[in-house]
Amino acid sequence: MMEVSASSVSLREFGCEQTLLSRPDGSASFVQGDTSVMAGVYGPAEVKVSKEIYDRATLEVLIQPKVGLPGVRERSQEQCVRETCEAALLLSLHPRSSLTLILQVLHDDGSLLGCCLNAACMALMDAGLSMSCLFCGVSCAITADGRIITDPTAAQEKESRALMTFAIDSTERRVIMSSTKGSFSVHELQQCIAVSQKASEKIFHFYRDSVRRRYSKNL
Amino acid sequence: MAAGFKTAEPLEYHRSFLKENCRPDGRELSEFRTTTLNIGSITTADGSALVKMGNTTIICGIKAELANPTVDAPGKGYIVPNVDLPPLCSSRFRPGPPGEQAQAASQFIADVIESSEVIETEDLCIDRGKLCWVLYCDIMCLDYDGNILDAAVVALLAALRNTQLPEVTVNKETSTPEVNFEKRHRLHIHKHPVGTSFCVFDDSVLIVDPTAEEESLSTAQLTVVTDEDDRLCSLHKPGGSSMSGEKLQECINRATARQREIQKLIEKVTHSVTTAQ
Amino acid sequence: MPTDTKRVRGPEVSQSPVLFGCRPAAVLPSHGPRADGRQRDQADVRPVFVRCGLVSQANGSAYMEAGSTKLMCCVYGPRETERKDETDMKCGRLTTDMRLAPFSCPVRGSWIQGTQDKDLSLMLYESLQPAVCLQKYPRSQIEVSVMVLENSGSVLAHAVTCASLALADAGIEMYDLVLGCSLCQDAGSYVVDPTYAEETSCGSGGGLTVAFLPSLNQISGLQSDGEMSEETLTAGVRTCIEGCYKLYPVIQQALIQALRRAAPPPSES
Repeated sequence: MMEVSASSVSLREFGCEQTLLSRPDGSASFVQGDTSVMAGVYGPAEVKVSKEIYDRATLEVLIQPKVGLPGVRERSQEQCVRETCEAALLLSLHPRSSLTLILQVLHDDGSLLGCCLNAACMALMDAGLSMSCLFCGVSCAITADGRIITDPTAAQEKESRALMTFAIDSTERRVIMSSTKGSFSVHELQQCIAVSQKASEKIFHFYRDSVRRRYSKNL
Repeated sequence: MAAGFKTAEPLEYHRSFLKENCRPDGRELSEFRTTTLNIGSITTADGSALVKMGNTTIICGIKAELANPTVDAPGKGYIVPNVDLPPLCSSRFRPGPPGEQAQAASQFIADVIESSEVIETEDLCIDRGKLCWVLYCDIMCLDYDGNILDAAVVALLAALRNTQLPEVTVNKETSTPEVNFEKRHRLHIHKHPVGTSFCVFDDSVLIVDPTAEEESLSTAQLTVVTDEDDRLCSLHKPGGSSMSGEKLQECINRATARQREIQKLIEKVTHSVTTAQ
Repeated sequence: MPTDTKRVRGPEVSQSPVLFGCRPAAVLPSHGPRADGRQRDQADVRPVFVRCGLVSQANGSAYMEAGSTKLMCCVYGPRETERKDETDMKCGRLTTDMRLAPFSCPVRGSWIQGTQDKDLSLMLYESLQPAVCLQKYPRSQIEVSVMVLENSGSVLAHAVTCASLALADAGIEMYDLVLGCSLCQDAGSYVVDPTYAEETSCGSGGGLTVAFLPSLNQISGLQSDGEMSEETLTAGVRTCIEGCYKLYPVIQQALIQALRRAAPPPSES
């Protein structure tokens, strides 16, 4: 594995607020620089007969873009977020029930899928659902001259040659989800994975801090 | 007896095979099903290809139409890929608008086209800012037995290779396009992206080219798309059980080998079609 | 017009290059031999190629080629009805879905099912329904879906034949096979099993599609459009029946072949 110094991983300013909505069972908003996503979780609740799975809960993910109707791109992102959450959640604890996760994009300034994943994880935590591990989303862009930028802004994404988003789990720092754009070499991929794993430590640290801050206020 | 076991305990049934490093259909873990390719069978399309991987059958038809380019990109044409999973191909799909899986597949194919630069959209420009081609790549599954993404990419690539666009000139006086159907030219294919899909069983065993049953029992799926220069065009893993970098490397190595096989197959079939004409 | 958010979208408008051809399309002669060498005013159908059981996922399936018309049919069922409120306790439900692939016609079609597809589905249903013993399948449904891969004329007639073959392949009980044949009437002469060009070029004349049960000698579906006198209509129906009989042995052979493959006869030794 390649050595990546922690200083080379620069992420934008993070912000997170949990339980900010009263209606859903769990909610969170996650801000990365100017990118901001709000998440709400409903469930475990009753499930439609047609969607019922006999040995686990059915998870539905909806992504609402800032303007307009969700299209094919959102559907593909929903699939990524859903399957990542399914890997982390212990769905077999709630057989024949439904979980709904709604992600509302408030502003997109790059690394949107990464931010969606982070918001999703915080909201699931807030809803008190049992998970086997936490996960976080990290986006990396490779510039034309081969540099790797973590957590790129929309402008940086546009100029980049390739863009990758990974979901990393908190226990073994392995890749749960991967979604890429543009072409890149195998070496660059491995480098990006290493950088993302490094970046994930920072994000998990932030998760811990923000949850600690919240509970210290409550107690 | 075996049939009863398969129906009652499908996962156990598969596990008992995987323990012995083989699969219920007799394949090894890293073995593909037989892939057959048929090019240019649909004469109403400008380019077409039919791919069979085992039972999975996918047809891709390309229709070219004329349109105005966008103001943002006056020198570019359009490629519009859509994947359809009609109720015909499996009992799991309902009639009506495309479901989530079909939409995600369409987006995946669109991403592969964009990332791999298989075709430069600049090549589709006829008259800058005024006229360009739209390639409607309609990919349809006729028999769904798993691994449609790989088959769809092969079908698309072979159909693009087969596509012949008529010559278009713009009349100076009336500024209307004139199409000469006798004179046709092929598209310039810059890259040959090929996908290889994997399934993970029980968070550990990696198998290639999964069938529909294996897909539904697996804990994770991933698709690696590589081109002839061994560059990755896509590493699509929507979720599921987590994987280490080493495991991913294993998948990439298998994918590069697969790219060679498929490119050779496409060359061979394209060659046999052109010599037959 | 509402935008389609479930597909990758292209430009708002695009036009087929067919509209801008340099020279007008050749007009087909309305007398003399036909473009593909077949005879007018005779039940001269195109040679067909049929195969059963190609789709692994379906209970029954059939693929059919007639000239360059290519279509495929799959049958799923009998299975439990989805719409519980409409469940008929005594009789099964037959559903048909017929679609033309977007690339099947000279001008690209839309993904969204148009009125033409719906009309075809309905006519297919009406032609098949009398032949299927639905009373043997109470509270269940049988789904027939047809996909036209290339439309080179007479799609409805061939879809009927193909669908009945797929139903037989699925082991659904039927009174008889249903065979389809169509013709186009144009200024005193007619062409049987018309191609796409012939279908579109005979403007004023009528078209006729007959669905026929050969061993019962009954007609299950009849669809006619355009202007036709009583005599020409009856003569047309008779010609179509003649065309159906020409198809019959080919279809029978295909079924026997599929059955042989599924259950090979015991070897002599």
